[in-house]
Amino acid sequence: MISREAALAFGRTRAIADCRSITFILWLIATVIAAGASPLADRPVSPLSADQTEGQGQPAAPKPQPAPAHPEELAAAFAKTVPTSIADLRSMEERVKALARQLSPSVVAVEVGFGSGSGVVISADGLVLTAGHVCGRPNRDVQFTFSGGRTARGRTLGVDLDSDTGLMRITDPGPWPHAAMGDLSQTHIGDWVLALGHPGGFDLRRSLVIRLGRILRLGADALQTDCTISPGDSGGPLFDMYGRVIGIHSSISSSVAENFHVAITQYYDDWDRLVNAAKGSTMAYSPRVYIGAVGVDDVAGCRLSAIDTDSPALKAGLKVGDLVLKVDGREIRVSASFKRWLAEAEPGETLNLEVKRGEKLLAVNVKLEPLKPK
Amino acid sequence: MSKIKFYFISIRLMLAVMVAAAVLNSSGAQEESLPLTLSRNRFRSGEETLRAFAPVSEATRSSIVKFNVDGDTVALGAIVATNGLVLTKASELKAGKLTCWLASEKEVDAELLCTDDEEDVALVRVDAQNLKPIRWATGEVSLGQWVITPGIAETPHAVGIVSALPRKIRPTRAFIGVQLDFGTTVPRIESLVPGLGAERAGLKPGDVIVALNGTGVTNRAQVFDELAEFRAGQTVKVRVQRSEEQFEAAVRLMPPGSGQLGQESARERRLSRLGGQVSTRAGGFEQAIEHDTVLPPWLCGGPLVNLDGQAIGLNIARASRVSTYALSARLVNRILENLIRASSQKPQPTQTPGPVGY
Repeated sequence: MISREAALAFGRTRAIADCRSITFILWLIATVIAAGASPLADRPVSPLSADQTEGQGQPAAPKPQPAPAHPEELAAAFAKTVPTSIADLRSMEERVKALARQLSPSVVAVEVGFGSGSGVVISADGLVLTAGHVCGRPNRDVQFTFSGGRTARGRTLGVDLDSDTGLMRITDPGPWPHAAMGDLSQTHIGDWVLALGHPGGFDLRRSLVIRLGRILRLGADALQTDCTISPGDSGGPLFDMYGRVIGIHSSISSSVAENFHVAITQYYDDWDRLVNAAKGSTMAYSPRVYIGAVGVDDVAGCRLSAIDTDSPALKAGLKVGDLVLKVDGREIRVSASFKRWLAEAEPGETLNLEVKRGEKLLAVNVKLEPLKPK
Repeated sequence: MSKIKFYFISIRLMLAVMVAAAVLNSSGAQEESLPLTLSRNRFRSGEETLRAFAPVSEATRSSIVKFNVDGDTVALGAIVATNGLVLTKASELKAGKLTCWLASEKEVDAELLCTDDEEDVALVRVDAQNLKPIRWATGEVSLGQWVITPGIAETPHAVGIVSALPRKIRPTRAFIGVQLDFGTTVPRIESLVPGLGAERAGLKPGDVIVALNGTGVTNRAQVFDELAEFRAGQTVKVRVQRSEEQFEAAVRLMPPGSGQLGQESARERRLSRLGGQVSTRAGGFEQAIEHDTVLPPWLCGGPLVNLDGQAIGLNIARASRVSTYALSARLVNRILENLIRASSQKPQPTQTPGPVGY
């Protein structure tokens, strides 16, 4: 488990993180060694039937709408470059204390396999945002623990290990306390934010841990804050001062100012794939199919940089320079997603690609061949 | 912002990426530039931000001292009496010449009177009179409230918020060095970690643990729970059943990473400590407030104050990347009474050695 984790930690680079040498993901694997081990691993998680999939009994969840921000309702201190008086600090404190009370019920500790992380419930029927590396893969059993100690059962839905987004569902009947999802349209560098989660795993005596910080960097796919986060926080929510989820804890680096959170926008972008876990996804990119085209990232998205001679890609009419927009209707934003879908395809399957060539949109059907031995 | 991600699938792919990158650069394609970053001064505990807290420092700095041992800062302290009595973190007072700086920019001699080893608090007499004792808060602590760690300067060292309400803090995990059999709920020893306490005390694979320091245990979870109350260096009486006989062995607990054990926990520890040093004694407190102030170990020992300049606690340990502990005010006052009583009964100041193995 550790080696897999290490591989992940070193294999992932995040666009915002180009200043970092090494990033550690925050998934805590509960260690079961000698006496003194975490009792987390001792708690049984009741297995759910394996054939449960989204859509049985529960309708597929529609893409949520971001809750609006109301900057005019926030204390003036939050809009300053820095607070400048005790009065400013008091008004901030009032808000933070109120948010801590208001938001805590929606934050959960999650246990999947032997690991533990965090998550945030975003709908009354029990959809839970978390980090992709906490889910690992779809349809795993999950035990959720709310801040007061109440537990619920559920399972993982979709995962995107590229963006580190993941979704879970509480399968026990709700309604569940939940928080609103936000967006980044009103978010700025320097905004004050709250990080909630369960560093070190769930601890009933302590319950969840709340940290205050500011947004230090704001990227399209990730946020950096000085809210210190630590293993076990993975998947936990980063809230803005309106009480909306704007990020999910993902990774850290050595400095206490290097805390990285998946931007909430990634969840909207990935939504269809996250709620529809039926197709599943895998930890490793080990395709069994041959397409004969290589996609690389450029500013526009996933662009084909090489096409093999006598390849399915060539036969289908794909050309170097084509921008891959969709595979079987699923949006492709980075080359890793393209590779993922290839990794999950079956030999003989026909993929429908939507590509952009110059200004033209083309639909191309590619019949995949079995991977050729090298 | 660079969007290039590396997945080592094949050399060919890497080459393709490199070629593509070269093409992009040569064609002058303008990548999105790095996003602006917040100036370090405006971080939560940045200099500019800390200035807003100056009135709190102004109200408290003359009730704070900074301890030096042989000239190096080791801890802050809270003045608790006009005649120079100061509370601080005991385990940071290393051997050597103890002096302290006052807010009045005077350096004076200091003398250790006595310590409370359970809570790691020391009572020190500093050579000064007419000091201003810190004011202790009496109200409840709330989640999310500002907490300030003032020093003797005009602005505080750092600020944070209350991250978790006061609670008992268990000692840093320590080990007796047994691997329990996970095939059964009975706490049966499957194997022993060479060189650790259990092996040294003569325990053997197959022994079933029936009691720890007199408390009966019947399953693994209870064993973990009981052992979690002990610190490294302490000794626990382990009663075991071996075939027909029962006997008791005194087993010393070791810190994580001892012997061959604890590789995973060492990794966990490394991760949670990323971003700074933690206190050598960072657990085992009766009641502490957890806050998110990033405080180096040598700035513990002083008061943790609210926006009113009242101490809600005494910073007692930097525990991890995410947490600093402060003994709550009520507990500190109780400790203070005991220490004053102990120091008056013991005219010869003695320093009890701290826990071994930290």
